[in-house]
Amino acid sequence: MSMTQEEIEALMNDTPTEPENAVDDLLAGIEGIVESSEEDIEPEEVNVDDILAGIDGIVDNEPEVESEEVNVDDILAGIDGIVDNEPEIESDETSVDNMLSDIDDITENTIEEKEEAMLPLPSSKEHKIVNQLNEVAEDTEEKASQIFDVLSFILDENEKVTKSNDASKEFISSQIELLEKLSNKFPNIALLEENLKKAKEVGELTTLTTEIVNGENNKIFEAMEIMQYHDINRQKIERVMSVIRKLTQYLNGIFEDDSNKPEVQIAKHISGDGSQTVDESDIDSLISEFSTDN
Amino acid sequence: MKILIVDDSSTMRRIIGNVVQQLGVPKESFDEAEDGVVAWDLCQKNKYDVILTDWNMPNMNGLELVKHIRSAGSQHIKTPTIMITTEGGKSEVITALKAGVNNYIVKPFNAPTLKEKLDPFFKK
Repeated sequence: MSMTQEEIEALMNDTPTEPENAVDDLLAGIEGIVESSEEDIEPEEVNVDDILAGIDGIVDNEPEVESEEVNVDDILAGIDGIVDNEPEIESDETSVDNMLSDIDDITENTIEEKEEAMLPLPSSKEHKIVNQLNEVAEDTEEKASQIFDVLSFILDENEKVTKSNDASKEFISSQIELLEKLSNKFPNIALLEENLKKAKEVGELTTLTTEIVNGENNKIFEAMEIMQYHDINRQKIERVMSVIRKLTQYLNGIFEDDSNKPEVQIAKHISGDGSQTVDESDIDSLISEFSTDN
Repeated sequence: MKILIVDDSSTMRRIIGNVVQQLGVPKESFDEAEDGVVAWDLCQKNKYDVILTDWNMPNMNGLELVKHIRSAGSQHIKTPTIMITTEGGKSEVITALKAGVNNYIVKPFNAPTLKEKLDPFFKK
């Protein structure tokens, strides 16, 4: 079981994190809830007859459907009319044969495809599971690094924005100060008052820009933190790779042939394998076909 | 303040480096190593104020590195060392503490956690 940061702190401080009997208390609590809930539920006896009667009632209440006499011939005539308008299909025996042979081809191809899919893949580099997993881990590492480059670039650019914004802020502050002094000295000049107001508005905008950039930076830092899961997932993949490696070693060991007996040629078709094996009559016909007349 | 960041994942090294930079340490003030062997080599050549190391790494793991760091004759025998790892088991934490790490962080961590762990060493 993995430890939380708090538990690690507690471990480092030699303080117990939770009383030992806390789990027992919890379990007792849960048992209590289960017992009490079991007690509360009383099985209700359901009168099936009442339900059936109700259903009967519903059925009885349904409006009676009047059996209307319909002219079947009219309907058929209409259908015939529709059919008549359809393009005539020429009965061509050869086209049916072609269709049947096409269907046979499709069926054969499908069977072949299925057989191919079931065949074990060659143990080349691209089919080895550990190799594939290793490739996935390395590729995602590379891509994660590239994502990090992008995030770092945005951070660097944001820093430039912050710097130039700070410079603007400083200038606007000095302008506000100057305009305030001038405005106080020359209260009759409306233009000064107007510019002071505008300068204060721009000053507020620079503050807002700083806030936005800081917020963006925080989000980027958050994204960078989330990218730790790449490393965690990579380690999970490595754990799977380790299991496969051990399993391979185990299977190699268990299937290993310690005897020095030379490998004998194996039979390709043994009686009972299926349709590919021959019977007596097949053999006789083959003998008669291939035997040379002496 | 010179810091050594040891992790086989380049992404993790950058994440840790980023937090360290946020604490005011310039990029030039920290070195990176992808395994214990490279880290131990750097430790013999340079003097670090803090070492941040992962556990599971190829060639030489973090635990072995800590043992090397704490071995007699090492110039980093008293250097604050923090283990940053996915190993979240109690026995692993105890093993690391016994090997000589000063603190332990389980991945994934957040910037405030690492800052909190680093702060005492920065104030010294």
